[in-house]
Amino acid sequence: MNSNVNLLVGLAIGLNLLALGSSRLPSVIGAVAVQGMAIGLMPLLLESDFNWIVALVAVGTMAVKGFVIPVLLRRAMRTANIEREVDPSIGFVPSLLLGAGGTIAAVALARALPLLPEHAGSLLVPGSFASVLTGFVLLIGRSKAIAQVCGYLILENGIYLFGLLLIRTTPLLVEAGILLDLTVGVFVIGIIVDRIQRAFDSLDTSKLTVLRE
Amino acid sequence: MTPGPLLLGAAAGLAAGVVAGRWNARVWLALTLVSTAAALGAAGSLLLGGAIWEFVSTFPIAGQPLHLRLDAVSALFLALVAIVGGAGSVYAHEYWSNQDYPQSAPRGRMWWSALLLSMGGVLLSWNGLHFLIAWELFTVAAFFLITLERQRRDVRAAGWLYLSASHLGTMCLFAFFAALAARTGSWELGPMRERTELAPLFWLALVGFGLKAGMFPLHIWLPSAHANAPSHVSAIMSGVTIKLGIYGLLRTTGWLPLPVAAPWILIGLGAITALFGIAFAFAQSDLKRLLAYCSVENIGIILIGLGGALLAVADGHAVWGRLLLAGALFHVWNHGLFKSLLFFGAGSVLHATGTREMSRLGGLWRAMPWTAALFALGAAAISGLPPLNGFISEWLVYLGLFDAVTGRSPAAWAAMPAAIILGITGALALATFVKAGAMIFLGAPRTAAARHAHECGPWMRGPMLVLAILCVAIALAPVVFWPLVARASGAWQPMWTEMPVPASLFTLGSLQIALAGLALAAGLTLWWRARGAGAPRHLTWDCAYAAPSARMQYSSGSFAGIAGGWFAWLLQPQRQLRRPRGLFPAIATRVERVPETVLELIFTPVATVILQVSTAVRRLQHGRLQYYIAYVVVALAGLGSIVVLGGRS
Amino acid sequence: MNAFAIAFVEFVVRLAGWLVLAPLLPGIINKVKAWVGGRRGPPVLQLYYDLARLWQKGVVLSTLVSPGFVAGPAVAWVAVLGAALLLPLGPIGASLSFHGDVLLLIYLLALARFCMAWAAMETGSAFEGMGAAREVSYAVLAEAALITAVLALSVHSGSVTLVTMLTPAAGAGAVLLAAGLFTVLLAENCRVPFDDPSTHLELTMIHEVMILDHSGPPLAAILHGASMKLLLFAVLLVEAVLPLGGLSRLAAAGALAAGVLVVTVGVGLVESLMARLAFRRVPLLLTTAFLLCLFALLVAWKGGDA
Repeated sequence: MNSNVNLLVGLAIGLNLLALGSSRLPSVIGAVAVQGMAIGLMPLLLESDFNWIVALVAVGTMAVKGFVIPVLLRRAMRTANIEREVDPSIGFVPSLLLGAGGTIAAVALARALPLLPEHAGSLLVPGSFASVLTGFVLLIGRSKAIAQVCGYLILENGIYLFGLLLIRTTPLLVEAGILLDLTVGVFVIGIIVDRIQRAFDSLDTSKLTVLRE
Repeated sequence: MTPGPLLLGAAAGLAAGVVAGRWNARVWLALTLVSTAAALGAAGSLLLGGAIWEFVSTFPIAGQPLHLRLDAVSALFLALVAIVGGAGSVYAHEYWSNQDYPQSAPRGRMWWSALLLSMGGVLLSWNGLHFLIAWELFTVAAFFLITLERQRRDVRAAGWLYLSASHLGTMCLFAFFAALAARTGSWELGPMRERTELAPLFWLALVGFGLKAGMFPLHIWLPSAHANAPSHVSAIMSGVTIKLGIYGLLRTTGWLPLPVAAPWILIGLGAITALFGIAFAFAQSDLKRLLAYCSVENIGIILIGLGGALLAVADGHAVWGRLLLAGALFHVWNHGLFKSLLFFGAGSVLHATGTREMSRLGGLWRAMPWTAALFALGAAAISGLPPLNGFISEWLVYLGLFDAVTGRSPAAWAAMPAAIILGITGALALATFVKAGAMIFLGAPRTAAARHAHECGPWMRGPMLVLAILCVAIALAPVVFWPLVARASGAWQPMWTEMPVPASLFTLGSLQIALAGLALAAGLTLWWRARGAGAPRHLTWDCAYAAPSARMQYSSGSFAGIAGGWFAWLLQPQRQLRRPRGLFPAIATRVERVPETVLELIFTPVATVILQVSTAVRRLQHGRLQYYIAYVVVALAGLGSIVVLGGRS
Repeated sequence: MNAFAIAFVEFVVRLAGWLVLAPLLPGIINKVKAWVGGRRGPPVLQLYYDLARLWQKGVVLSTLVSPGFVAGPAVAWVAVLGAALLLPLGPIGASLSFHGDVLLLIYLLALARFCMAWAAMETGSAFEGMGAAREVSYAVLAEAALITAVLALSVHSGSVTLVTMLTPAAGAGAVLLAAGLFTVLLAENCRVPFDDPSTHLELTMIHEVMILDHSGPPLAAILHGASMKLLLFAVLLVEAVLPLGGLSRLAAAGALAAGVLVVTVGVGLVESLMARLAFRRVPLLLTTAFLLCLFALLVAWKGGDA
């Protein structure tokens, strides 16, 4: 069972690197969607006995992260006529190397942490750190708002992965709360993106520096 | 014959050479050759199994009793000094002859002898003070050799940079030896591993010796000095004198206790030096600067081997450490041989065409077939390709690193990145030397100078041939040279005296022979097959372009464009582009230059700030007596208040 | 004496196998491409005909070239053949095996690259300079990936000898390693998406543009050497992933042949379904290959700890 979870975390890490290395927005969004589904599946694998609440949350997560948010993002991209190229300020190869180095560092860091013995062999903690780092690299190194939203989503996935460690002890309401937060956040960004697009004819956040006061 | 008389003869010959060099070139050459042959004999007899030679005299020099000693580590380096020193003196006989340089040729001969003599002194001294004196002498001798052509401004600048950087190193070494003498109570050198309180002194030695070796980022003096010196001087500096920095590090690490971090730092610095050195080399368009940066890279490879060997010692004398040390020591020899060969080749090109700029050369193989063939051999050897000698040493280093990894010791965490970086470095070295060889010798001549080149004479060709033969000898019979290196390893680390030839080196040696034979046979067969068909000659395919010009060939900069671009963050190349304008564009230029980035962007600004601060402070020094008395009073008051306040607390 | 004779016969058979079977691979790739494109395509044995024809032909040399122009392809061919002979073939082992032979293999491939680039630069043509510059530059990244892959195999098997490195069952990182090595295979053999072997525009080529001026027997040596290199990488990839050591001789031979066929068809499919990458994207893909191998290395390290 643990190996299945590890496989999924490995997939999530691979998708992190894909998101860092791909030059087209649709593939970044696709990577985020698949990662959301993979992460949503995990509570089911972690709980040994079937539990209705867990199942519900898992299905909900998969639906929201795997379908709703990507569809919203794609629609925003279409309606706002954004170019499909990502337009990085940190190049693809450097961000890829950063992400890979961060992943390796995350594995080393997780070894040093005083974890519970049942979590020792698990990739959950390194996967979580790696995703958070990837999210930050995307947020820092991409200038298109949509790509930044994707970075934010990956960052949230990392936090969610960490939360899974506590699945036995913490009420799942917390996770649901995070999810809700996020959905609202994406909606808001979606609306803002639309407004910005209408007002300024561009979604390049690096051109939006005049409003800093 | 024991080494003693041979060494005495060599020293006497070289000392006589210092005098004779001023007056007669032939006598000087004979003296130098005999002396270097004697030194080589002494080193060889020791490496082949002779007893350690030692000479102690109560006769004091500079207040210290004279203590000379030749052990296997010294002999290994002495052999290199003797070979390159001898070859260089023959080369200089034509390259820097009395006819061409009536002013500086006698001076050059004199300082050459002095350089060899003082390097021998460094290798034999067993007393810290005498070591420092010899070290300083050889630094000064090298300075005068670099600045033989002192009417040229850039030569003078390179010389001053070299001298000031060297003195920074000497300062660290002086502090190192003085602190050592203060703590041990004697200037005598030798193993003192049990005195753990001496460990921090290693950092001083690392800076001092690392600066001489050209370790990144202390290599700043090296490219301009090696590029602007006469080529035979560049050869001995790149091939031998920077190795004395390695010699110093070997001695320090062999004798003194080390800080725990030292091996890790050394291997890390080695990896950085190798990678950054070759990245800079690849981007150069000046042939001799390229070779100089490539020396930085090779020092990195040697440091990786040395650092790894120290890790093995810390790890309980693991077997892979011996492979790494043997690889490093072999590389000291190999690099000394092929780098001198390449600098001699560069000198021949410079002699024939008057330029070091690769984009002004091209097609020289026709005029200079010997130089071209020997340079190609050296280029393949320095790229670490089988079946040549560079591969032997790199293979040993790789093998040690891989064994450290498969042994799963903590050292693996250094060995894995080092092996990967070594791989990248090797591939970049290959690219660098394809570029260098091709730009100079292949294709069509790009300028008139290249069109009217001529082959060098026998005095210049001979030394190159000897070095090439030595390269091939080490390549094809590594097992013959292994015992010599093994003896040096034993002298460095007494636990490692028993180093039988690895069985795989036997196999590799025979495979190298087979490969060389097969490659030769295949080349000849295909050439014969091509000639057999008559081989009509036609123009190179030019895509039906009407008026091709030799300047349309791929240039040095365009060749380095792709991989050089990946290192732009490090190299900081400066570009000037003037696009063609209008319907009938007249002039369009593009100039690209890779600066001495570390020097110009880091050291110079820092030095400027220091200079400004010191200029400001200098205003205190104005010569008015009254103020000086005031300083004394202020200082006394200050001291007094410290004493009073300190006493109260 | 008898043992020596057997060893000799085995060596000759192995040599003949490499020499004779290698030109099949480009034929199969072309057949797959034609099949996907709905054409009939050239016969699978086309390269054999080409080689025979080229060997008969005369040579035209450029006015600028030195003997190195002809010697380069010859030495490169010898180097690739030597590297191929070092490679063990499943349970049959290698004809010659020693501690550290894998490093010789990598450096023999580097020797081939040096010779090919040198020969290309002989002509003084800007096209060939372009090709040589690309070849040696991209090889830097490919070499990093290859060394890392070899490190992963070494860590997994605890050995630096090819025979023992390639025998044990592939560990958990096999998928990563396979993907990384397959990308290196494509790059080192100048296949799509790094290079398009069937293009006819000099500006967009790597390998083909380096050999523009070669003709006759030297060209035959180059083409044959290229096909041997492709076979070498395919065999290396299959043996790194499939545990051939545990099988019987016949089964191993079958598995090896099937694996090589799968890889070859895979190359053909990639070539049919993908377009060549823009050159500025090539480093990204090669970095990805390096990272795949790096993660395979870490997985192998972790696997040995547990």
